[in-house]
Amino acid sequence: MDKSSQLPGGYHGRILEVDLSKGRIKSLPLNPEDLALYLGGRGLGIRLFYDRVDPACDPFDPENALVIATSPLIGTNAPTAGRGHMVFKSPLTGGLGSSNCGGTWAPAFKATGYDVLIIQGKASEPVFLDITEEKVEIKSATDLWGLDVHQTTEILTSQDSPPHSRVLCIGPAGERRIRFASVMSDRNRAYGRGGAGAVWGSKNLKAIRVAGRAKIHIHDKDQYQSGAEQAYYLLKQAPATKRLLKELGTLGLIELINLIEMLPHRNFQDNTHRDEDVEKISGEFLAKQFLIRAGGCYLCPIACQRHTRVNQKRGEGPEYETTVMLGPVCDIYDLEAITLANYACNELGLDTISFGGTLACAMELFERGILTEKDTEGFDLRFGQAQVLISLVYRTAFRQGIGDLLAEGSFRFASAFSHPEFSMTIKKQEIPGYEPRASYTQALGYMTSPTGACHLKGGYAVSLAFFGGPKEIPRFSLLQSPLAIRNMHNLGIIQDTLGICRFTGFAFSTDPWARMVSGVTGLDFSTVELERLANRVATLERLFNLEAGFGPEDDTLPKRFSLEPIIVAGEERVISQDLIRQLRSDYYRARGWDEAGRPPLRLLESLGLRKR
Amino acid sequence: MKIKVKFFASMRQLFQTREREVDLPEGACFRHLLDLLCDSAERREGLFDKETKLNPNLVFLRNGQPIQSFGGLEARLEEGDVVAIFPLLGGG
Ligand code: SF4
Repeated sequence: MDKSSQLPGGYHGRILEVDLSKGRIKSLPLNPEDLALYLGGRGLGIRLFYDRVDPACDPFDPENALVIATSPLIGTNAPTAGRGHMVFKSPLTGGLGSSNCGGTWAPAFKATGYDVLIIQGKASEPVFLDITEEKVEIKSATDLWGLDVHQTTEILTSQDSPPHSRVLCIGPAGERRIRFASVMSDRNRAYGRGGAGAVWGSKNLKAIRVAGRAKIHIHDKDQYQSGAEQAYYLLKQAPATKRLLKELGTLGLIELINLIEMLPHRNFQDNTHRDEDVEKISGEFLAKQFLIRAGGCYLCPIACQRHTRVNQKRGEGPEYETTVMLGPVCDIYDLEAITLANYACNELGLDTISFGGTLACAMELFERGILTEKDTEGFDLRFGQAQVLISLVYRTAFRQGIGDLLAEGSFRFASAFSHPEFSMTIKKQEIPGYEPRASYTQALGYMTSPTGACHLKGGYAVSLAFFGGPKEIPRFSLLQSPLAIRNMHNLGIIQDTLGICRFTGFAFSTDPWARMVSGVTGLDFSTVELERLANRVATLERLFNLEAGFGPEDDTLPKRFSLEPIIVAGEERVISQDLIRQLRSDYYRARGWDEAGRPPLRLLESLGLRKR
Repeated sequence: MKIKVKFFASMRQLFQTREREVDLPEGACFRHLLDLLCDSAERREGLFDKETKLNPNLVFLRNGQPIQSFGGLEARLEEGDVVAIFPLLGGG
C-alpha cells in the first residue's frame, strides 16, 4: 500500500513548514499514525510542537514554533467546525501556550491544501505569509508594520488580493511583544490568551493571508451526515443554543454569576456588587443600548457574537469575560467605557482578560500606596476610574510610560514593586471572571489548566454546578470535583481537537461528534476513543510543562484565596492550602499521574504515547 | 411568609416583570410557589417539564443555591427567601 492510500478522509495530508530565518518553505507529509492518535487541532498541534521545540527554550528565541492545526471536520459543513488551534511556548507563563479561535480563517487556510502550518525562525525584517493553492510566499510587511489589526486586515483583503482572502494578524501590541498580545482573525476574533501575538512579533511576522478552494474527501458520507443532522437538530432544541446566546450573548450570564456569588470584584478582593450596578453591564442592557446585530463564526447557528455601536464607533463585543475583567474586577460598571476599551484591545491586539487583570492589580497597588502617581505618570489609578481604561489600553499596547510595565502582565508588574502577592495569576496568567473561592471545581480547574488560569482550558466549571441538571456537581464537593474537572478538561480537549465551539456543549456532548469524525476520517473515533485521546493529549501537555520547569507548586492559587475569606452561600469561604493540596493530588490520581504530577512510564505506554 | 422572586432574561417577558413579592403560608414548599406563579398555561409550560418536573432548561436558585440542593419541588421555603429563575444560558 502506498502512503496516500493510508491517508484517512478529511485531511490533505500535508504540513506547510516555514522557516523564517532561512526563508525556506517546505511541504511535509503528515504521519498517519499521528492522525490516528492526535486527530487534529489541539491534539495534533501539541504532538507536532513537542516533537520540534525544546521546552526549555526562551519563548522569544527563534526556535520557538507556532503550530496552527486544523481538524478533519474543517472543510465539512459540521456546525461551528471552523476553529483553528495555535500551539506555542507562552511568553506570559513560560509553559504551554495553546489557544483556540473561531472566525473564518482556519477553513480558508485548509482550503489552500494544507492541514497544519508550522512557523519557526525569525525574519530579518517584517514579513507576512501569502498562502494560496498555487504558491506560498514570504513577503515584505515593512509597510504594514505599525498598523493596527483592522487596517492590516483591510489592506491585505483589498481589491488586488486573491478573492475570498482571510487574514490573521497582530497589531502594535504583538509587534512590541506585550506578553499578552493576541493574534486576531477576521478583525475581531482572537487567539487571545498566552501571548501568541508577542511570539509573532518576536519573529517579525505581521500577518498570514490565505485563499483557496481545495476540498477534502469524506470517507463515509452517511455516517458523517447522521451525526451532523443530529447536531444541527439538537442545537435548535436547547434554548441556549437556539436563541438565548443570540439574543443576549455570553454577557447574558452575568446576573446569574452575580446571584451565585461568583462574580469577582476589585482584583478578587471580594464578590459583592449592587444588583443595580450589575444590571448596567448586563447582556440585556448591551442588547438595548449598543447591539446592532448578533453574528456567528463560520457555520455557526448559535451566533453569540455582538456587533455593536457606541456613539459613532462600531465594533464587536464585549462578551462576558471582557466585561467582567475590564468592569467589576476594576470596580467599573460603565458599559460604554468597557465596550470602547474592548474595541481598542481588538484593534491593537491585546488579550482583554490579562489586560483587565493586570490593570486591576495596578489599581490595588495604587490604593495601597505601593504605586504612586509618580509611577503612573499622574494617572489616578484608584478602582472604579472608567476614564483611564482606554488610555491605558493604548499606553500598554505601545509600551508608553506605565504601559511598558503593564505590558509585562500583572505578575511581573507586581513583582517589580516587590508585591507579587497582589497578582491574581496562576502560572503568571491572569484569572478570568469566575471567583475560585465560590466553587472547588472552578478553583481546581484553574489550578490544573495546562496554560495557566483559563476558563476554557481550565474547564467551564460553573456549568457543572448550576447547569448540570440531574448530573449536577455540588460546588463544594471534595469527592466529586477532581473527577468532574478531569472530565471537563477532557471534553475541552476533544472540542479543541475537533476544531468546534465549546458552546455546542450546551446542546449535546461528544456522541454526534464521534459519528461525524469517524464518518469523515474512516478511523474509529468512538466516544471511548475520543476520551482516550483526551487523556493522551492532557498527558503530553503535562510532559511539555514538566520539561519547561513546572511542578506541583505551580498548580496552585494565589495566597489571597486561602487567606482572605469571602461569603458564599451564607458561609465564609477560602480554598485553604490543605484543600489545594488534596484537590491537586486527587486530580493527579484521576489522571494517572504520580504525587508530583509526573506521568509514569506505564501510563505513557497504555496511552500509546511516545516521548520524543 | 414573604418570598421575593426575581426573573431574568426570557423569564422577564414570560412574567412581565423583573421582580415580584409573593405571600405564602408558613411551611409552603417550592411547588406551592410555582403553582402560584403559573397562573396561565403558557407560564406553566415555561417552568415545568411535562407538568410534573422542573424545566431542565432553567436554573432555579434559592438564595443563590440551586433549588435541587434543597430537594427541588419539595424544598421548604422560609420567610425572606429570594428565589431567582434564569434560563440556562451559555457563557464564556
Ligand atoms: S457560539 Fe459564538 S464563539 Fe462559538 S462559534 Fe458560534 S459565534 Fe463563534
